[in-house]
Amino acid sequence: MAKFFGVVIDETRLKAIKGTPLEEKVEPIFGGALKRLVLEVPDDLGQKVIDQFTKARFDARGFIEETPASFKRLVFKKILEMKSLGPEVMEAALAEIPSIKDDIAKEDKELPVPDIDISDVLELQKNPAQKPA
Amino acid sequence: MPEVRIKTLPPPHGGKLVERVVRDPQMAMKLMQKCSAVYDIKPTLFKGNPVRNVYREIMSVCYGFFSPVEGSMTKADLESVLEKRRLTSGWVFPYPILFDISEEDFKKLGVGAGDWLLLRLKGEPFAILEIEEVYEIVPGDVAVRTFGTPEKNPEVVKVPFDQKHTGYNIYCSLNPIILAGKYTIINEPKLRPPFDRFWYPPKRCREEFEKRGWTTVIAHQTRNVPHTGHEALMKNAAYIGDVKPCDGIVVNAIVGAKRIGDFPDEAIVEGHEMVHLAGYIKPERHLVTFTLWDMRYGNPIESLIHAVIRQNMGISFHMFGRDHAALGEYYDIFATQILWSKGIPSFGFNEPPYMVEGGFYIRPQNIEEFWFCPKCKEFAYSANCAHKGIYSRYSGSFIRGIINEGVMPPPEIYRPEVYKVVVKWWQKFGYPFNNEKYLKEREERLEVDLPHMELPAHLKK
Repeated sequence: MAKFFGVVIDETRLKAIKGTPLEEKVEPIFGGALKRLVLEVPDDLGQKVIDQFTKARFDARGFIEETPASFKRLVFKKILEMKSLGPEVMEAALAEIPSIKDDIAKEDKELPVPDIDISDVLELQKNPAQKPA
Repeated sequence: MPEVRIKTLPPPHGGKLVERVVRDPQMAMKLMQKCSAVYDIKPTLFKGNPVRNVYREIMSVCYGFFSPVEGSMTKADLESVLEKRRLTSGWVFPYPILFDISEEDFKKLGVGAGDWLLLRLKGEPFAILEIEEVYEIVPGDVAVRTFGTPEKNPEVVKVPFDQKHTGYNIYCSLNPIILAGKYTIINEPKLRPPFDRFWYPPKRCREEFEKRGWTTVIAHQTRNVPHTGHEALMKNAAYIGDVKPCDGIVVNAIVGAKRIGDFPDEAIVEGHEMVHLAGYIKPERHLVTFTLWDMRYGNPIESLIHAVIRQNMGISFHMFGRDHAALGEYYDIFATQILWSKGIPSFGFNEPPYMVEGGFYIRPQNIEEFWFCPKCKEFAYSANCAHKGIYSRYSGSFIRGIINEGVMPPPEIYRPEVYKVVVKWWQKFGYPFNNEKYLKEREERLEVDLPHMELPAHLKK
């Protein structure tokens, strides 16, 4: 059974592929709330990806998940360069992993906190329904 | 016509709720006087990283989550559990519960059968182990027999367990000497925030149900911050009951050492709490709780410990989804549902665990899957929705992936309030998921603090 690798397409990435054949391959997910491109890779290549990263695994849908964000960025870069969603994209990304080693190491320690206002949930938590015994 | 209304909570597993907690300091001192040595509890390490702390098992035993187990298992009980998934008393129990110690520490302590050992946690007296038996194990053998093999358990085990499986590593990393005997907590720990408001050991939990007038309750097992698919599962599974849907939905999080990449437990319990604080399920119908247990990720085997815990808490039904408490592709993704619908003979279940002798009162609610269908315009149940190719399946690891990339999950996936709870703990820990730093610091901090308690003079040496 083939395995899959999904790349989430946000506004910036959508702009980068605009007008290319890749644009037509963008799939809406969750009713269009998110978009993605999907690479289909043979089993052995999928396993090679899993072997590169300690946390990576196949999920129940057969998708390769929990790879570092910098690897996903690299895969997207290769998609753009090669204008393809074929297995050669994944082969090329795997070959370039040494170039992102430092980024991957950093990612395991710290990720920038999103700049969003959470005061409403802190307010809700001031009066919890469940109290300590 | 038979009466279908469920009027009482199910009895504890084994018939009697275990509670081995001494709250009288004078009695605690009396018990400590009988101890001949002191041992400082250490975490179980795999490749230098904490994967288990036996204190969590002591808590779960002494507060009755694991009733009828009262302590570290004897060799006969261990063998019985590994062979038949039953205690020697005949009650179903899935996992070895063991107090393991290194040969070096064992020699230093100089204890044997008949001695009492004082166990210290975070530098304070915590519990007593009444040593009944001392024996040796081969940890790798215990690990293999705990989870099964494709040869012995072909119904559900697909590939041999290896070092990519956290639960397998826990058993492989045990020390070889086992001190078997009953535990008693003599210095009651104080749960740290935020865990303190979710601490409902079986006795308190049953009292809470009675206070709320609940007799039909369904359990939701979790090791995740809830996405909208989990919420749909909880709400829909709770339509089971008797003459009306379940009175209550109990979320029981498994709190303990976990896999790198999982969400921190603080975010998990508060994320579930936010489901009722933000009004998606009324707080009157929703109770968030947790059990201290270093998750073994044993899919069908784990589902049995979940049944033990939740029946002891007074819960009548249990949701089981695909890939229940699983990791990787070691088991069939429906292994738990196979166990709870027809049994797994090679694991000792010719029938489902609620039909066998020594089994459970708790009943399964085997759920296939919920997915988001843009045509149904709802979180559709997989047995209903036929819109192949357009629905989106949920995946916890996919969601963790988009968070990792800095993409805010849309409200179709995460309630915004729940995501903000993730951000709250991200701000505190500098990272949204468990990483090595978090797991190490967490192991020092633990989920509890212990009040100061003087040691008797003979143990101060």
